[in-house]
Amino acid sequence: MTTRLVILAMLSIAASSFGFTPANAEADSNANGKELYQLCAQCHGKDGLGNQVALAPAIAGQRDWYLLNQITKFRSGQRGTHFYDIAGMRMRPMALSLRTDQDVADVVAYVAAMPPEKPAATLEGGDPEKGKTHFQVCLACHGPNGEGMQALNAPTLNHSSDWYLLTQLQNFRAGIRGTNPEDVTGAIMRPMSMTLPDEQALQDVIAYIMTLSESK
Amino acid sequence: MIERYVEIASTYGGNIDALILLIAALVGFWLVLCEVVFIGFIIKFREKPGVRGQYITGEEKHQKRWIAIPHYLVLVCDIVIIVFAVNIWYTVKQDLPEPDVTVRIIGQQWAWSFVHPGTDGLLDTEDDIKMVDELHVEKDKVYHFKLEARDVMHSFSVPVFRLKQDAVPGRIITGWFEATKLGSFDIQCAEICGIGHGMMAAKIFIESPEEHQKWVALNDPTEDSKHTSTVAANNAAAN
Repeated sequence: MTTRLVILAMLSIAASSFGFTPANAEADSNANGKELYQLCAQCHGKDGLGNQVALAPAIAGQRDWYLLNQITKFRSGQRGTHFYDIAGMRMRPMALSLRTDQDVADVVAYVAAMPPEKPAATLEGGDPEKGKTHFQVCLACHGPNGEGMQALNAPTLNHSSDWYLLTQLQNFRAGIRGTNPEDVTGAIMRPMSMTLPDEQALQDVIAYIMTLSESK
Repeated sequence: MIERYVEIASTYGGNIDALILLIAALVGFWLVLCEVVFIGFIIKFREKPGVRGQYITGEEKHQKRWIAIPHYLVLVCDIVIIVFAVNIWYTVKQDLPEPDVTVRIIGQQWAWSFVHPGTDGLLDTEDDIKMVDELHVEKDKVYHFKLEARDVMHSFSVPVFRLKQDAVPGRIITGWFEATKLGSFDIQCAEICGIGHGMMAAKIFIESPEEHQKWVALNDPTEDSKHTSTVAANNAAAN
């Protein structure tokens, strides 16, 4: 009896030391996500608030499913392989440096849990009142407060940097993003971006988005 | 010998290997000889009972010879290396043969972009084929490349070509190669260029004339055809 108890105790200790308990598994994932994020932090910043000089948008608090989709797209070449996608080409090797699906999941969870912050506006010349009219098309998927909608694969917008939104809208309109045959969700966004009539409309709608706030 | 580990797929790859081996042989010879002499002296002049250590200044003529003669011989070896190296440098970097095709290569953090001429065979026309991370060339044709950098310094390196050329922002550097072997091979960046440097890889696809024409036709941007990235297709197949 004593021998059995000793063996059982040893097995328990061994199991816990190898991280077999669910609590430990979660802690390991968090630790792994935090460690992996050190690479991302070089451009996105330690708080995930982005860095325009490095062409890295704010990602703190972005929806986990959207982050997962985008990292998957970068890894598969649906994003970051267009000749003119300068920022995308910087991101693709970073996404490829995540070696396993678990690594992707861990870093996504870590980023999604970061407290979001409204980035300061960097663009001038947009009219939020006019932008509000244009935004009526956007809100069908992104929601009235730009909070995003998973069912329609529409990310949250109101913690995004304005320069990043402008670049991405320009990319969608120019066919730099959303034209890869496998990028199904990008292909949905591309025609939406084309509904904005001109460059000024992009500025206006972004100026309106920068006024939005939502409680997550 | 080096080809056993990294195959050669360019006309001048063998010359580079020969130069590396020549340098390795000459330097290796002197390394071994020096070590043998040093160890020999250590053994010969080791501590012995009844023999006091001496301080030798090396001013005697017969002592100076141990330095002077190898010195002159090493200089002769240096001249041999320089003659071979300059000859190969001239062939690889300066004496560019007339090109059959010209491509544009652009390095940026952290990807290689390539502009191939389309069906008209001319660069900077509307049928140019623009690709990221894949360069398609034809075997046995002389290619000139116009190398540019968008942000910081990079180095265009194709190990099977034994080719390495810095890409400098603000400059367009012309180089050449002629591929001799069919297949796909690695392209890498050989200049530390930021945190993603180690992931800045691409592929060169060396194709037969028929394969290449087929690829050009399939990727002609003036045609309503589906562009086919070989790397993306391979990734998709792997997934």
